[in-house]
Amino acid sequence: MTVLTQDAPQILGDRQSNARLLMGALVVMLCITSMASLAVGASGTSLWQSLLDLAMGRDLSLRDRVVLWDIRAPRTFMGILVGAALAMSGAVMQGLFRNPLADPGIVGVSSGAGLGAIMAIVLGGLLPAAITNQIGFYLVPLAAFFGGWASTMLLYRVSTRKGRTSVATMLLAGIALGALTGALSGILVYIADDAQLRDLTFWGMGSLAGATWAKLFAAAPLMFLSMAVAPFLARSLNGLALGEAAASHIGIPVQRMKNIAILTVAGATGAAVAVSGGIGFVGIVVPHLLRLMVGPDHRYLLINSGLLGAALLLMADVVSRTIIAPAELPIGIVTAVLGGPFFLWILLRQRGILDL
Amino acid sequence: MMNAQDITVAYGSREILHGVSFSAKPGQVTAIVGPNGSGKTTLLRALTGDLPYTGQAVLNGIDIATAKPWDLAAMRGVLPQATPLAFPFTVAEVVRLGLQRGLEAQETSLISRALARVDLGEFAGRLYQELSGGEQQRVQLARVLAQVWHPVSEDQPHWLFLDEPVSSLDIGHQLQIMQIARDYADQGGGVIAVMHDLNLTAMFADCVALVADGHILEQDSPNTVFRNDLLSHAYKCNLRVNTPPATGAYLLPHAASMAAE
Amino acid sequence: MIRASLFCAALAAAPALADPHPDASRIVSIGGAVTEIVVALGEQDRLVARDTTSNHPASIRELPDVGYVRRLSPEGILSVDPDLLIAEEGAGPPEAVALLNEAAVPMETIPSGYSRDAVGAKIRAVAEVLGVPDRGEALASEVLADIDAATAGVAQWDQPPRILFVLSLQGGRVMAAGSNTSAQGIIDMVGAQNALTGIEGYKLVTDEAVALSNADVILMMDRGAGPGAQADELFSHPAIMTTPAAQSRRLVRIDGMKLLGFSVRTGEAVRELAAKLALAEG
Repeated sequence: MTVLTQDAPQILGDRQSNARLLMGALVVMLCITSMASLAVGASGTSLWQSLLDLAMGRDLSLRDRVVLWDIRAPRTFMGILVGAALAMSGAVMQGLFRNPLADPGIVGVSSGAGLGAIMAIVLGGLLPAAITNQIGFYLVPLAAFFGGWASTMLLYRVSTRKGRTSVATMLLAGIALGALTGALSGILVYIADDAQLRDLTFWGMGSLAGATWAKLFAAAPLMFLSMAVAPFLARSLNGLALGEAAASHIGIPVQRMKNIAILTVAGATGAAVAVSGGIGFVGIVVPHLLRLMVGPDHRYLLINSGLLGAALLLMADVVSRTIIAPAELPIGIVTAVLGGPFFLWILLRQRGILDL
Repeated sequence: MMNAQDITVAYGSREILHGVSFSAKPGQVTAIVGPNGSGKTTLLRALTGDLPYTGQAVLNGIDIATAKPWDLAAMRGVLPQATPLAFPFTVAEVVRLGLQRGLEAQETSLISRALARVDLGEFAGRLYQELSGGEQQRVQLARVLAQVWHPVSEDQPHWLFLDEPVSSLDIGHQLQIMQIARDYADQGGGVIAVMHDLNLTAMFADCVALVADGHILEQDSPNTVFRNDLLSHAYKCNLRVNTPPATGAYLLPHAASMAAE
Repeated sequence: MIRASLFCAALAAAPALADPHPDASRIVSIGGAVTEIVVALGEQDRLVARDTTSNHPASIRELPDVGYVRRLSPEGILSVDPDLLIAEEGAGPPEAVALLNEAAVPMETIPSGYSRDAVGAKIRAVAEVLGVPDRGEALASEVLADIDAATAGVAQWDQPPRILFVLSLQGGRVMAAGSNTSAQGIIDMVGAQNALTGIEGYKLVTDEAVALSNADVILMMDRGAGPGAQADELFSHPAIMTTPAAQSRRLVRIDGMKLLGFSVRTGEAVRELAAKLALAEG
């Protein structure tokens, strides 16, 4: 790892210039993958031909317009947002819990959101038709978001005493809450019929396939806001690596910063899980990989995680919709198949070097 | 000026400190000594604002209980007993964590100077997690020094709070670290250190607070506090203080007490 | 319209009356039952793609697969440049359907159902959509006659066998068919009895409910796995082990689409199920 720092012009051990170079590379990578996501798909619609046609003032065929504008474009933006939100939330969570294996799943955001979605799928039919007609297929995403938000708030209340949030209590309570939401989900699965079960299975595997402009506009503000706030936490998260007391000693308002971090994660992850289901590994693998490359300085880690998470999720999505075209594989399967072994490889490679 | 009046700290229903009063002056090294479990670290943690307490603690005229963390950070640094790091920061990055905002332009030179001060100039590029415990402790001291580099700014002294700063160090580095603390005080800064080693305390401290069972038995110069009867009472064993005029006080455990234990 | 009114009674359950598309030549067929009807009507040449559940006859598998019936990929469907989508009820997700609608791909939904009459209604609806109502009428008569002959041929049971339909064994839990399911439909047709009562739809059922069912026969879909292994796993399940079916190792397996599709092969399914039940009973 120190090899990377050899050409740093300043003091040895300062990896800032590497992190900045990497940021530039990741921006380029994200642009390329975004283009690929717009250009690649089961149908023969060509992005370049369509752009050329538009430039020449020719109208696109209805099919090409739908494929590019209503299918690929919202899906690409959704991929960018969800990938960035998951990876950034992972990085914030790991910084907050001072544990490189922490994940938004730990604070109950994911399990709460999952419970919300399952409730919507299984019990949605019990709602008055007037309501279901109004919100239609946004019912599941909305329920997922509120589930994630509610469980985070509950957990936070449980672990906060006299204005101090105990991270250890939160971890333990998160496990308890995970078990509880798991059990409630189990009950719901028990009473679900087979069609609902199939919906649950597919939701659980995660997918960007349901991306529409309307969903994007519903989920984007929350993800944007959360991600815009996250970089302001960078200095505090760096300090928190020393421990809560030491962080406070160097001037970090630890309690306020923890509040903001938890809200940020709940917002970004809740919204992401709501629109895309359970997409695993992005939140753990991306920040971990970046820490190995340019170190754990959150001033770069958070933004780089967002960029790399977005690019990787787009790549996984391109794979998911082309590998068995015209059908598609849920993206959660692609990220798990690619991410799982990769993560194991990282762990094996650094075993004994870094203390997890 | 550090002034604490009637400080009481309780963990749940168990009271650790019973209304102690303590003070420290800039330009001095003030040591807090006492047996294990006496409450000396608890006192330090109350004074750094880490523990809720009743009573009043004031540093440079600012009430610790209500001060904002950044205001406190601007005038005092704290060195904990040990600082495990969650992530693979390099030594230089750890030291940079201590820098106050607005110093980005000089950060390279400040980091180098702080590391040179603790004799770790060559370690800047190493990973903190790969260092030995003693090296990590010196890196942390460099981090704290980077935070409160100037002992006095605008007539407000800066302070170093050290919690058993030399416990994990070899004797050479113990002397080195204590000398850094001594120099900091000599330049006008304040140093408050929880100490285990009474001999090092006698060598470097200007003032000693002896804590036992949640009370400060006495706070005065080492030569005054380090008396056979008082120390033997506090540590519940027989201790003998030797005071040759050339070197100052040093302590030996009394042979009888060793046999008794 | 006049002819359409003839089918009104049969289509009462349908969400909307199907419009005929006699000129559609690039059709995507979604749902195994629908696809089998399209093929039986002799209109296979008009198909350009199918869904995952459309696996019969074998020749249909050469067409591109646009995904599972409830998880269709809109761009995947658009990629085969369809001029008509003919789908069984429940095809989705709704987002995909909305996008296809946006892309002006006409979509016709065929009502589902688990009875003799539902089969007729499906055939007529598909034929109507394809613009071949006469052939649909002929096929419907033929298929219904076949079903009637099959049900008439089922031996009268002294004691109707109690059948437990096991959809899957998920992590040791039994997912079985209650009332208002396709499995219940076919069990009714052979004059047998669903061993599981008081449950609606396909459910993960408790071990005790399985034990209490007193099933004489276990019915499963044939997935082409080795018969021995599946039976061993099934009958070593602690709940199923206690049933009479396990004690005499009575397991009947029939191709899932044939058994549960309620399409052109339903008569065949009734005969096969009745024969296998008789064999198992004997």
